[in-house]
Amino acid sequence: MKCGVENVGARQTFVAVDRWMERYQQADPEAPAALIGALSPALLRFFRSQVASREQADDLLQETWLRIHRVRHTYRPGEPVLPWIYAIARRVRIDGYRRTRRVAAHEVAMETLPELPVRPEQPHTRPCFDTLVAALPDAQREVLTMLKVGGLSLEEVACATSSTVGAVKQKAHRAYQRLRQLLQAGAEEDREGASQ
Amino acid sequence: MNCRDIDGMLVERPPASPFSAEVEDHVRGCMRCRALVSALGTFAPGDLPSPATLRQIESGIMSDLHPVHPVAPRLQVFAALIAVFVCVVAVGVYRLGAFAIAVMSPLQVSVIFGVLAVCTGLLASSVVQQMVPGRRHRIPPRLLPVGIMVALGVAIAVLFQFQQERNFWARDWACLKTGIPLGAIAAVPFWLVLRRGAILSPSMTGAATGLLAGLVGTSALELHCPNLHAGHILVSHLGVAVLGATVGFFTGILADTRNTRAVWSAMRRADEETLR
Repeated sequence: MKCGVENVGARQTFVAVDRWMERYQQADPEAPAALIGALSPALLRFFRSQVASREQADDLLQETWLRIHRVRHTYRPGEPVLPWIYAIARRVRIDGYRRTRRVAAHEVAMETLPELPVRPEQPHTRPCFDTLVAALPDAQREVLTMLKVGGLSLEEVACATSSTVGAVKQKAHRAYQRLRQLLQAGAEEDREGASQ
Repeated sequence: MNCRDIDGMLVERPPASPFSAEVEDHVRGCMRCRALVSALGTFAPGDLPSPATLRQIESGIMSDLHPVHPVAPRLQVFAALIAVFVCVVAVGVYRLGAFAIAVMSPLQVSVIFGVLAVCTGLLASSVVQQMVPGRRHRIPPRLLPVGIMVALGVAIAVLFQFQQERNFWARDWACLKTGIPLGAIAAVPFWLVLRRGAILSPSMTGAATGLLAGLVGTSALELHCPNLHAGHILVSHLGVAVLGATVGFFTGILADTRNTRAVWSAMRRADEETLR
């Protein structure tokens, strides 16, 4: 996976979102495009960090917007919109996970596994966010993605996950500790590889 | 400043706010922190939604775009729930008579109705929070109904005595027959108040609303029924609340299934339109 796009001020993208949401409720034809454009990249990254395939993440993104559209009246003007959006996205992800599990339970295992496509050797690049957080437990990954990709504050993450600020902080701390260990292990492997 | 402080700063820092000079100094000099900060801000460029997907989502929304009224403010919904609760209990007691007050001790009256009032307030407040996604809950909605039933059960078991009772089931059935219709009557306006919200976990909201409706029956029976045997109160008075929570839970599951199917069929329709 090629990495290298800097996350430039996710929060700045969301400044006007609250106002667009109110206009969306009033059926302003410009509002859906503005909201979809502003929030979809972060939402897709949220789903990509939680599910394996890009296709699934696209489906979840589409389902999230459909649900947002159906329940847009439940947003109270003046309240922060990001916890509202991410609470819905989180629910869609949980439903998607359950659905995938149901489908997987009905699938018949093949006798021989198909060969996986061989990835071409890539020059070593520094690990990107998605690669790193993939190694974290679900709850820590969810919190870290909301904080770093979604641009939510601790309070907003607590609202979106029906949790407390203390619990969110604890998960984030543990996630950073784990990430440090992973980065260090990776650096040591690189050093060993270089010395051989 | 050390690496631990950097972790703390990364957790507490508002999104996209710049680092302080002190933090920047440490990050520049510490390889581990530099790697972490760099990885946290680096994303794979391929992970952006495709323009085709965005267009499909937008066209799906635009085809059904019409103005909507936001749900009522929290305080209004809370007041409506409490007003319904009080009105149905008052009408019920007016029709049945408040015979229990005369036979209960002041301690029993104050504790049992105090617990009922607190439980009703907590439940109504939790239901109001559950109406809108992304609200913070002081008590997790999963635990609250169970906690309320346990608290009421303990209060009843401590305040009233367990005794052998003749015609136990006949008397219990008589109270259940009185309490259940009151709960059902209250459930209708509760549903009218909440029907526009509670989309994230309808089963949990259903259980909480069912319990609230059941507590209407329980409260009316506590005011009406002069039978002070703990077994009778637990089975027939609190039983109305437990029954309400159970019915609400399963109604919520049905509503959830219906909503999910509606979303999936809307997605299928959107896919078919795109293919065409």
